[in-house]
Amino acid sequence: MNGPFYIGWQDRADPEIKRFIIRCVLLLFSIGLGFAILLARMQRTIGVSVFEWGTEKKFSGIMKAMPYPHLIVPRPGASGATIGFSTYYLVAPFKHGLDPGSMASLDGRTVDLRGTLIYRGNETMIEAIPDSIKASLRQMEPPAGLENVSLGRQTFDGEILDSKCFFGVMNPGQSVPHRDCAILCISGGIPPVLLVRQKHGRPLYLLLASADNKPVNQQVLDMVAEPVEIRGEVERQGELLILRADPSTYRRLNSRSP
Amino acid sequence: MSSQYQAVQWNRQKRIYDLLLISGVALYLVVFAVVTEHYFPYVTEEILIMRAFGTLAFLLLHLILCIGPLCRLNPKFLCLLYNRRHMGVTCFFLGLIHAVMVVATYHAGGDINPIASIFVTSRLTGSLAGVPFQPFGFFALCILFLMAATSHDFWLSNLTPPIWKTLHMLVYAAYFLLVLHVTFGVLQGEAGLLYSVTMAAGLLTVIALHKAAAWRERRNDRELEGLRGDGFCDACSVDDIPENRARVVCLSGERVAIFKYDGKISAVSNVCQHQNGPLGEGKIVFGCITCPWHGYQYRPETGESPPPFKERVATYDVRVQNGRVFVFPKPKMDGMSAPAILTRQ
Ligand code: HEM
Ligand code: FES
Repeated sequence: MNGPFYIGWQDRADPEIKRFIIRCVLLLFSIGLGFAILLARMQRTIGVSVFEWGTEKKFSGIMKAMPYPHLIVPRPGASGATIGFSTYYLVAPFKHGLDPGSMASLDGRTVDLRGTLIYRGNETMIEAIPDSIKASLRQMEPPAGLENVSLGRQTFDGEILDSKCFFGVMNPGQSVPHRDCAILCISGGIPPVLLVRQKHGRPLYLLLASADNKPVNQQVLDMVAEPVEIRGEVERQGELLILRADPSTYRRLNSRSP
Repeated sequence: MSSQYQAVQWNRQKRIYDLLLISGVALYLVVFAVVTEHYFPYVTEEILIMRAFGTLAFLLLHLILCIGPLCRLNPKFLCLLYNRRHMGVTCFFLGLIHAVMVVATYHAGGDINPIASIFVTSRLTGSLAGVPFQPFGFFALCILFLMAATSHDFWLSNLTPPIWKTLHMLVYAAYFLLVLHVTFGVLQGEAGLLYSVTMAAGLLTVIALHKAAAWRERRNDRELEGLRGDGFCDACSVDDIPENRARVVCLSGERVAIFKYDGKISAVSNVCQHQNGPLGEGKIVFGCITCPWHGYQYRPETGESPPPFKERVATYDVRVQNGRVFVFPKPKMDGMSAPAILTRQ
């Protein structure tokens, strides 16, 4: 035990120690820099999704209350094979869905509302200002193809998401790190959606409803953000896919368990 | 060295230390943000911030834990230890900002109290991916808070050093909790192998350094035998001790530092009264034993700090015969143990 000795309260350190400190600090800075780049670059779940926060727009369309409130907006000039309308999920601010009771009275009617757009790929949603939703004076003609088409009984593996965060309010907004938020959102009325990643092509989003087409928010909370398998009746309404199954038949896939 | 307490007793080295610490923190945060924004332009700012601060707090905790064993392996690292307290406080604040961002984005705006939500929202589901990971982070933050809040020397003397030391050993509990927090949290979601490898490497580094330092210390800790009739123990040869430095021996389970200076030999307890720093790795500066950790000083003859300071370490009686140093294994708390004078041979 000999050699230079560092005393913090002395103004200047021994030159040999000073050299050592400089090398030490440079090394630590490089390590820090390396980790900053590595850890940032290695993130894998940040997708392309948008919440037009601060930009409020006006929307008009036909209200559909079941299984979750959504807005049907006819597309101008649509014809032939293309679907003649867009579907917007409707939710309330923060971690809340719209009150299903008050929406039920508007079911099938044309409404005007103000809100903020949320979108990811083809999935679109409006964070509506609840007080702005009013029955419109003019009634829109329901577009062709609005009735549900059955796609039969099918089985899917996927993850239950809260649609609001995943479609754009939070990015990344999925999986275990985000689970508590998703549970709070879904229990607050945000529509639960099953995300199914396909080997080829775009991911599928299936709106989860009970066998009799009712909301299942409270029944799915324990299954959120984990791999699950769901078998049920699939229906298509325009671009919206609805998966109808009794939540007690959902199966947790323990792929990540030992 | 305080006779009165001030918030921080600034000096040049502390200023440099803190300046470098803050620069490092800023550099990390900016680079993390820029890289994330570049590769993932649609990222939510709140999540970017929570991740930048969370990862940095965890990284800094690794450094904090490694400094101790590094210093035992090579005393030059003591420059990193000197103001480690500010590193700890910084780590707490980084963790706090992370937690505040989490609570504000993930837990607020729902139907239950956002803090309660940390504990009740996720229920145990029986699967590994379903283990609620956020309470681990919460308890780790509590520990970091306790440590940051009591980091000042005021608390050290008011809580008494043993309690303070025990409290600050909880840092290992905090680290363990955070390993669980990350393992059951982000590693389940950002399932990239590289993330897991990085964390495992961090954990292994911390463990390996502690093992190496403990092994090194155990080697030096062999209890002395060779008790003489007068009760004195044969400790070492005078030539084993470098001038103005010490040699540490183990006597009746206590470490004793034997210093050689000015043609004299003195022995004192190896344990600094400030934060248990190893006095035997210190040096005699201006006639005083100077602790290698934060530079507290003690007179080798009496074990007392020079006025106005009031710290005191135990001293031991020593004798020198035929070039060998003999130490009486009972510490004296009340001052004077006459140093042994070395006669020129
Ligand atoms: C009340 C206390 C805390 C809560 C509620 C909490 C919650 C969370 C959450 C929700 C995540 C996932 C974030 C995401 O990526 O989406 C996370 C990740 C993480 N946390 Fe914490 N945490 C807390 C305290 C801490 C503390 C004190 C530290 C470190 C000193 C820490 C270190 C980390 C790290 C390193 C990650 C992984 C990186 C990241 O995803 O942000 N956490 N924490
Ligand atoms: S000066 Fe702080 S432990 Fe000795």
